Amino acid sequence: MRVFHRKRWLTPYLLLAPGMLWLALFFLVPLGFLFYQSLESGNIDFGYAFTWAWGNYSSAIRSYRGQFERSFEYAGIATVVAFLVSYPVAYWIAFRGGRWKNLLLLFIVAPFFVTYLIRTLAWETILSDNGFVVRILHDIGVLSPGGRLLATGTAVVAGITYNFLPFMALPLYVSLEQIDQRLIEAAEDLYASRWAAFIRVTFPLSLPGVVAGTLLTFIPAAGDFINAELLGSPTNHMIGNVIESKYKELLDYPAAASMSFILMAIILAMILLYARAVGTEQLTG
Amino acid sequence: MTSVAVPLRSRRGTLAAAVAFARRHVLTVYSLLFFAYLMLPIGVVIAFSFNDPKGRFNYTWQGFTWKNWEQWNAIPDLQSAIQLSLLIALIASIVATLLGTLVALALVRYGFRGRAATNLLVFLPLSTPEIVLGASLLTLFLNLTSVLPIGFWTILIAHIMFCISFAVVTVKARLIGFDRHLEEAAMDLGANELTTFTKVTLPLIAPAILAALLLCFAISIDDFVVTYFNAGNRVTFPIFVWGAARVATPPQINVIGTAIFVVAVTLMLANVVFQNRRAKQA
Amino acid sequence: MSDRITRQVFLRRAAASGSVLTVPGILAACGGGSSPSSGGGTSTEAHKLAKTLHFSNWTLYIDKKGNKHPSLDQFQAKYGVHVAYAEDINDNASFFSKIQPDLSSGQSTGRDIIVMTDNSRYPSLLVKKGWVEKLDKSAIPNIKNLVPQQRHPSWDPNRDYSLPWQSGFTGIGWNEKLTEPVTTMGDLLGNKKLKGKVGLLSEFSDTLALVMAYNGDDPSKITDQTFNRAMKTIQKAVDSGQVRAFYGNDYSGPFAKGDLLATMAWSGDVVQLQADNPHLKWQLPDTGGDIWTDNMLIPKGGDAYTASVYMNFVYTPKIAAEIEDYVNYVCPVLGAKEALIKQDPAVAKNPLIFPTKDMLDNAHTIDPAALNNEKWLTAWQNLVSA
Repeated sequence: MRVFHRKRWLTPYLLLAPGMLWLALFFLVPLGFLFYQSLESGNIDFGYAFTWAWGNYSSAIRSYRGQFERSFEYAGIATVVAFLVSYPVAYWIAFRGGRWKNLLLLFIVAPFFVTYLIRTLAWETILSDNGFVVRILHDIGVLSPGGRLLATGTAVVAGITYNFLPFMALPLYVSLEQIDQRLIEAAEDLYASRWAAFIRVTFPLSLPGVVAGTLLTFIPAAGDFINAELLGSPTNHMIGNVIESKYKELLDYPAAASMSFILMAIILAMILLYARAVGTEQLTG
Repeated sequence: MTSVAVPLRSRRGTLAAAVAFARRHVLTVYSLLFFAYLMLPIGVVIAFSFNDPKGRFNYTWQGFTWKNWEQWNAIPDLQSAIQLSLLIALIASIVATLLGTLVALALVRYGFRGRAATNLLVFLPLSTPEIVLGASLLTLFLNLTSVLPIGFWTILIAHIMFCISFAVVTVKARLIGFDRHLEEAAMDLGANELTTFTKVTLPLIAPAILAALLLCFAISIDDFVVTYFNAGNRVTFPIFVWGAARVATPPQINVIGTAIFVVAVTLMLANVVFQNRRAKQA
Repeated sequence: MSDRITRQVFLRRAAASGSVLTVPGILAACGGGSSPSSGGGTSTEAHKLAKTLHFSNWTLYIDKKGNKHPSLDQFQAKYGVHVAYAEDINDNASFFSKIQPDLSSGQSTGRDIIVMTDNSRYPSLLVKKGWVEKLDKSAIPNIKNLVPQQRHPSWDPNRDYSLPWQSGFTGIGWNEKLTEPVTTMGDLLGNKKLKGKVGLLSEFSDTLALVMAYNGDDPSKITDQTFNRAMKTIQKAVDSGQVRAFYGNDYSGPFAKGDLLATMAWSGDVVQLQADNPHLKWQLPDTGGDIWTDNMLIPKGGDAYTASVYMNFVYTPKIAAEIEDYVNYVCPVLGAKEALIKQDPAVAKNPLIFPTKDMLDNAHTIDPAALNNEKWLTAWQNLVSA
């Protein structure tokens, strides 16, 4: 035992090494390359050269402020909606699911297994101007006669909400499920009102799930471009659409790289603020 | 574990049960509506896999046919795309789960210098939008084209990269939640660390490893953005869909989508049934 | 990053010309692809057919029967070369970005023939960068069948690197079941009844050419002033909510579905889309449309000889006619018209395949200089993705 213990300090590093090395090589190093590229200037015809072109950053913000703001607006709305929509269901499964729990969870995860793009294309069909959703909304007067859903911001937000819903619902469920039922019963005895018990005990105990869920929804949503591309119109384009077209169509790598960094920086800053508000332990577990 | 939890839950006051019953109905109806909403697009996808469109697009219902299922690979390149996706997902999920489980074990079981940095490095890829992951990897790979042409290996490397963090988080959650006394008991009984790990720890975290594996597989096979940047000329299934959707939507896309869905759900159902049965026996 | 790539290409090209250290050598290397010396050794392997020809084309752009392409089968029967035909080009920009990494690092793209449109910057960029192989003209006697007006494009004056595949028009398509005919740009951009149900094309040249013509400006000679005027016209339509989106080839889905009542559209597409929706119509706007040509090119590393043999094959009038009968675009091959009429007399009246003089007079070509104007391209991109 003694011999074993002496070598023990090495064990965690050996366990960590392969995974961390992979992340370092294929996550950190590429970010370094991306940063380098974001400071290049030139054009695709003559090639790009590194020139400390900080101007890429300011011009990215100047030219695409609208898309940046829209990205965070859409992602924010989608996150809130996803939270409101899925919390009751996560609660229901966690406390009322009984032996059906796993089956119900399966239903939440199931849409995951239809390719993201196919799901979004299906929404394109459902929300179409001649589809039944628009017809019903016309009939009950929610939509004005010429109104539509497809190619609007509403459709984009709805698409984002739907596509990232499992990311919200699952962490919520996990944290709710871990709550000891006896605590809630005690709280209900203590606070007389169920609602008060929920607010004072159940909800705070589910906070780790709320934090994880909102982050897991908000982050991919802010960088998404597929929903805006398939369900939106140009007036609904997000920063992801700009980065994508700069990278894949215009081959304007420095501009795309600088925008990627701005996006990442804003998201990290928001996470830090969020972490300060709710406590870091919730974040990294 | 479940056998410990069950008696706690069943101990409920009768009054509380009555109130809970009333509450259950509101929540139940709401939850059923929620599931209907969740399944709506899936239903559309499945239904339209049986459509018989006259032209290029599979948007309006024209009539029922089995044809698309019988000729699921009639579209050129579709079969190779789905094969590539499956292969990548299989390898990526296995490798990422292995690496991720090791990291999770280190994080939960050992105190060591560099913990915070490790946590951060696991957390960062999760907090980076996919488009940034894809773009940054492409800039790296563009510089390596002489040794590593952009294609199969670059897709695989990328997929393993973004799966690792998900695997770590999944396994870690389970490790934190479980009772260390069981391991201590095993050690007290004279088992060494390795035996304890294989006989006690591993069986206990096996469901978490399986969950990580499934999650990684699902994320990998579904990934479009990162792959789109790093696939070069290779075509995975999502990339095929993206390309096809712009000019035509052959119902075979729905067939494949439905097939993946059905296989995945069947596997998970089997898993649920199996676990329920085991829980009952326990 | 990319500067390194450029340096690699530079060095490779310099090495290929065998004179890294001499001034003329460096100049030749700097001169881009105009120097044909960087052939990569294809000349030694000339006149030996490959087993397989890798051909990347746009979707639904070749004859098809069931799952077969009869013209490709005939090619195989005649030359013993199997054609691996991939419909993997959806728009110029994204296809270019797909092959660009290989080309810039000096690797083969795995393709022998690709097809790109001359109203995008990419064909000329490929030639300028030296990323295409020279045609083996000794294998293409049928080049004599190329229609005269296509023989000297500005970006490849002697057709050393390219041959046209098809030409087509950009005009206006509308759904006659859901709207009155839309035949003017004024209607398309301003008719309140179409609000939110109008599509424009994201291709720089297509939309600009039609809008400029509508403004009374000349799309073949763009100035800052006429460009800005066109941008203002489009911006107004976007701001008023008239325009639903800017589309690539993907306008066809919403158009067939009925989400778009009217849209800018490519000529042959509408014929194919009528299979989805028989109510779709197409016409050049009264103020004029846009005419463009898709070109076959041999990306660097492709088998120039086998590709040239194939090009020669499709420049046989009978084969060109067979392809034409299916795709409904304008054929660049002399004699194909006669062959086609013999084969399918009804088609002679199809103005999409045989454009009338009125149509040709009413079709503009975009100013090639504009395709490389970074300022305009950026402004355009900002508008399209705003």
